[in-house]
Amino acid sequence: MVVVMRERASDEQVQGVIAKLIEMGFDVHRSTGALRTVLGAVGGTRQFDTALLEVLDGVQEVHRITEPYKLASRTFKADNTVITIGDVRIGGDEVIVMAGPCSAESEEQVEASAAAVKRAGAKVLRGGAFKPRSSPYSFQGLGEDGLRLLKSAADRHNLKLITEVMDINQLELIERYADILQVGARNMQNFTLLRELGHSKVPVMLKRGLSATIEEWLMSAEYILSGGNMNVMLCERGIRTFESYTRNTLDISAIPVVQKLSHLPIMVDPSHGTGKRDKVAPMARAAVAAGADGLIIEVHCDPDHALSDGAQSMFPSQFDRLMAELRIIAPAIGRSICLEPVARRGWGV
Amino acid sequence: MKADLEDLRNRIDLLDESLVRLLNARAACALEIGRVKRDMGVPIYQPEREAEVLKNVQAVNNGPLDQAAIKRLFERIIDEARHLERIADEVQSKEKG
Repeated sequence: MVVVMRERASDEQVQGVIAKLIEMGFDVHRSTGALRTVLGAVGGTRQFDTALLEVLDGVQEVHRITEPYKLASRTFKADNTVITIGDVRIGGDEVIVMAGPCSAESEEQVEASAAAVKRAGAKVLRGGAFKPRSSPYSFQGLGEDGLRLLKSAADRHNLKLITEVMDINQLELIERYADILQVGARNMQNFTLLRELGHSKVPVMLKRGLSATIEEWLMSAEYILSGGNMNVMLCERGIRTFESYTRNTLDISAIPVVQKLSHLPIMVDPSHGTGKRDKVAPMARAAVAAGADGLIIEVHCDPDHALSDGAQSMFPSQFDRLMAELRIIAPAIGRSICLEPVARRGWGV
Repeated sequence: MKADLEDLRNRIDLLDESLVRLLNARAACALEIGRVKRDMGVPIYQPEREAEVLKNVQAVNNGPLDQAAIKRLFERIIDEARHLERIADEVQSKEKG
C-alpha cells in the first residue's frame, strides 16, 4: 500500500501516519521528496480499511497495490481454472454454449427447446424453475416440477443442466437436479447464500450484479471460493448505465479485465445483457471474439408465447444461425466451438 | 584508461564491503536497542529519535551527496532497522507466549 502525504505535510503528521501503519503491522518505507513524502507500507497480515488512513491528518491519498480478493486472483493461481462436468470442460479451449428457455413452462416446451439447442450445438441446458421476477404478479415458475422436467429433458439429450438458486432453503433440492448452480445478478451480494454455496460440491455460475464493479463481483466469488468450492465461473450479464434503449449495457470489456485479474472462467449472457432478441446475436459474436469462455442464451421454441422474457428469447432458427457464425469466429482467436454439430452427424434428430 | 576504470571499480567494491560491515554493525546495535526498549516497555517507533538521527548525519555531511540525498538514504536505513526490531520483537513474544 502507498500513502501519499499532502504537499508540505508537517513532520508530526508524517510521524502520526507512520505510527498508525506500524500499529497495523506494516513495515514502513519512508521516502521524503522535495514537496511531499510518500510512505510505502509492506507486509501487514490483518484485514484493514484504507479509509482509516485516509482520514488521518496530512494524508492526501491511499492506494492499495494488492487486490482485496485472494483465491479469485491470478496472483494466487496463474493458470486458468477449468471446470469439468462429465465431458464438458468450461474454461478450456472450447467455448461452451448454454441455452434454453428462461423458465420451464410445460413438458412439451422444455422438450422442444432442449432438442433445438442440442441440435445447434449447445452443451448445457438452461432453464428456471423458481423465477425471481421484477413483479410479484408475474409467472413465478413451476418449482420442483419444473426441475424434474428440465433434468429429464437434459438427460434425454445428453446436456448438462444449469438452473438458478435464489434462496438457501432451495439449495438442497436444486443440488439434486442441477449440474451448475446459477446465482442471479440480484443475489450477487447475498453473502449468506454465497457462503452456503461455498460448501456445495456443485459448480457455481455467479452473475454480475446490475451495478457491481468488477472488484465487488470478484469479492463475491471469493466468498464461494473461501468456503472450499473452487468450481466458480463468472457471468457478465450487462450493467445499468444511463442508456435506456437496451435493458442493460453489456460490458464486453469485463471479459479481458476479468481474465487479467482472475483465473476463473468468464461467461457472457447476451440475452439479459440487451433484453432484445435482435441484439442477442451481435453481442454473442462480440463476446466470443473478445475471448469469453462461454455463452448463456435464452432460446424458446415459441418465444411469442413465452411466460417470461419472450422478447429476448431467440427462435431456434436464429440460434442455429448464430452457432454457425460462432464456429467461424472462435477459431480466429484460437478457440473452438462444438466442432461437430450433432445435426450434421444425424444425432438426436 | 581501462586500468583506471578497473582500479576505481575495485575501490567501489572495497567501499561496499566496508559499508555492509558498518550497516550490519549498526543493525546489531539497533537490535540491542530494541531489546532494551522492550525491557523498558518503550514502543519501537520513536519519531523524535529518528529525527535526531537524521539531523546528526546531515550535520556531519560534507557532500558530494546533498542533505536531501543523505536524508533519503538514512530513512531507508532506519526503515530496515525498524523492520529488524519488529521481527525480533515477534520472535521474542512467540517464545514467551
